[in-house]
Amino acid sequence: MLGAAGAGAVADLTASGTSYASTSTSGKAKPGVGTGTPVRGGTLIVGVIAEIDGFYPGTAHWDTNGFNYANAIFDPLMAVAADGTTQPYLAQSMTSNATFDTWTMTLRPGIKFSDGSALTSAVVLANYNALKASALTGVALDQVASVTAPDDMTVVYKLTGPNPTFPSGLTTQVGYVVGEAMIEQATAHPNTAPTPIGTGPFIYTSWQPNDHFTATRNPNYWRKGLPYLDQITFKPIPDTTQRESSLRTGGVDLIQSVDPSTITNFEGSGGSGFQLVTTATGVIGQPSFSFIMLNTAVAPTNDLTIRQALAYGMDQAEIQKVAGGPPAKPATGIFLPGSPYYSNTHYPTYNPSKARALVKAYKAKHGTPVVNLLTVPVPLDIKIVQALQQMWEEVGFTITLSEVQQATIIDDFVLGNFQAVTSYQFGAVNPDLNYVWWSTTTVSPVGKIGLNFTRLEDPVIEAAMLKGRHATNQSTRVAAYRTVNEQLAKQLPYLWIEQYIYSEVGDSRVQNFANPTLPSGKPQYRFDQGIFVPTQIWLKS
Amino acid sequence: MAKYLLRRFIQLVVVTAIISVLVFLLVHLLPGDPTTIILGANDTAHNRAVLLKQLGLNKPLVQQYFIWLRSVLHGNLGQSYLNHQPVTQILAEGWPIDLELIIISQILAFAVAIPLALLTSRKPNGTVDNVSTTGTFGMLALPPFVIAPVMVAVFAVGLHWFPATGYVPFTQDPATNLHDMILPSLAITAGSIAVYYRLFRSDLISTLQEDFITMARSKGLSSRWIMWRHAFRPSSFSLLAAAGVNIGALIAGTFIVEYLFALDGLGFSLVNAVQQRDYLVVQGITLVIAVVYVLLQFIIDFFFTVVDPRVTRE
Repeated sequence: MLGAAGAGAVADLTASGTSYASTSTSGKAKPGVGTGTPVRGGTLIVGVIAEIDGFYPGTAHWDTNGFNYANAIFDPLMAVAADGTTQPYLAQSMTSNATFDTWTMTLRPGIKFSDGSALTSAVVLANYNALKASALTGVALDQVASVTAPDDMTVVYKLTGPNPTFPSGLTTQVGYVVGEAMIEQATAHPNTAPTPIGTGPFIYTSWQPNDHFTATRNPNYWRKGLPYLDQITFKPIPDTTQRESSLRTGGVDLIQSVDPSTITNFEGSGGSGFQLVTTATGVIGQPSFSFIMLNTAVAPTNDLTIRQALAYGMDQAEIQKVAGGPPAKPATGIFLPGSPYYSNTHYPTYNPSKARALVKAYKAKHGTPVVNLLTVPVPLDIKIVQALQQMWEEVGFTITLSEVQQATIIDDFVLGNFQAVTSYQFGAVNPDLNYVWWSTTTVSPVGKIGLNFTRLEDPVIEAAMLKGRHATNQSTRVAAYRTVNEQLAKQLPYLWIEQYIYSEVGDSRVQNFANPTLPSGKPQYRFDQGIFVPTQIWLKS
Repeated sequence: MAKYLLRRFIQLVVVTAIISVLVFLLVHLLPGDPTTIILGANDTAHNRAVLLKQLGLNKPLVQQYFIWLRSVLHGNLGQSYLNHQPVTQILAEGWPIDLELIIISQILAFAVAIPLALLTSRKPNGTVDNVSTTGTFGMLALPPFVIAPVMVAVFAVGLHWFPATGYVPFTQDPATNLHDMILPSLAITAGSIAVYYRLFRSDLISTLQEDFITMARSKGLSSRWIMWRHAFRPSSFSLLAAAGVNIGALIAGTFIVEYLFALDGLGFSLVNAVQQRDYLVVQGITLVIAVVYVLLQFIIDFFFTVVDPRVTRE
């Protein structure tokens, strides 16, 4: 459990809602929540959207699929509870000093990795060192000045400044712990895939990229009696319709989707015999948004006039219609109405005349603005970029379209190889977790690794993000993150489309896929950005 | 005939050598430093040095080519930079799917197209011929990405006869494997049926108007005997040529079907690799496909000599 100072602070500062949108399509049972006594055994086959690029947290780009694979074989140090607080997972406790700049973690005793080695503070330290050294994840640990292991089960994090919400960072990719042998293998052979070694509920069995990933029950799992399943298999099925058909024909038991049409297809009579759970409402902290990301370091999107023209020339409501699914709310920033951080950002609304005038002004100086709009080969995204191409060409732009795979597009983000690109991001239980994406310290020249993908160097955002991080009272935090939101609406590195809703549909046999509990027994935040925890899933016979 | 085949074989070797050079140059045609693209977010000085050495990019281009060629001849095609899977493994896992799709679809296509052409060519412009010709027009107009979802909706979701996705290797469970592969194979069969039927029918009609057929008829030979013994072989020349090109195109050319049915075949792997800029995978698969294609054409050339020995007299 958390220490007094840390627990209170984390709970107060991160929670902002806990309800879920879920549709019961198979009787009165709550979708995704098990009824009856759990049954042990069986294989769960999950149809996922895309393949991942690896298991090693130091080099792999984990998206929703990555975290789902990871949750099968690894465990995080901390996890988010359903009430929004950050709670220990592999850790037994996490306490801070009075100034929130030193955090002490005690590990749970008796936990073993799949290779038989023990979870100790030395392993956590080795993980930290590897993640800190990684070009990909090191920046997420920039606020950590040092980590020490005073004894076998204690880890002390000294921060560069106070941060009452620091433990929430350990619920992310940098909080997952892998066995030392995996780190050694990854370090010694950076161009080969290390064999995953974790403490998770399942043990890595096989991975054939683009075909399947299978893990089998960990018989020595430290959470006694768990997991219930004998085996879990993930099958990438990139086509949404085919994924849905596979569920309907019994080829898979559970599917994930980010296509709004899935919600429409499994709501009402179309979902009879299935359980649908979505993230449409009740997200803790920040929801994910879909948006067009603009590179502020390359012409012509480095010009604010062009970004404004694109924003005024984009009919958000029409794009939402093109995306399909249930009616969406207007998106004007990174928070939704109901969040304490939500405010009127004065984000530009559709005004083609204004957009045309801005393009005309730009054209007089530099000629016709040509923007390449990059996307992934997903039908929904392609529909959106085609609609945008038409809208923006109507106000005077020349828009070219290009496509790359989801697993690769992240490299374009990191290296700044884009002008405008479709993306989705920012779902976080704590707005501070988005610091790396907006900080001036993570901006790099185009062609060099930089986690501030838009390369917007805005001192106002930087100051506000740091103010929010170090704030020890809620009103200061609220003011800080409202400033961030409003400044993003002024600088326009993102053109918002709508809240990005994840949905998960299980057949009637799959129990408890949206009802995990923490080791303490407390309900866990379920389905955070489409990520599920397979530990307590069971199959009705 | 031996001389003809030897000449064809020499051409095969030359074409393969040219292909190997073009495929090798693929990585060198990339703008900028390929290591930056390959390493992406893992672009550290150490990783870059390891990769440069691995790819031999620190040596002169000609030397690089021969080093690469030696690796290829030793069965080393490199590995995916994304998931570090060896290209040979990707090929080993993908080719059985492609091969099976091709075999099943082509057997089905020949099984429908040949008897239908034999039947309709006897009475050109008759009812059966008109219906078949119109039907195959329709088949040509229906690409696999239209046929596949319709078949899934009807036979998988509606009737539950076949799975919508899924693949079990033939060696693991032959019955399930064939059951799983029926819909994907049917989705690519329609186009082949249309092409084979139309070509074969047209050639048969033309052959049946030849003098030697009239002579056979005047001798009182039965229609069946004339069709099988005298008309079939000379009419199958275009069919054979079309089959060679079509089967070649189907090697890794079944991407849409593999994508829709989530089959990790060569087409799916190749398109994925192109979109993920996984250049060594693209290089490896392209090389193998090109070599197989050239070999296939050589085999077809051999069959030509059997069907029509006159080709050796050119």
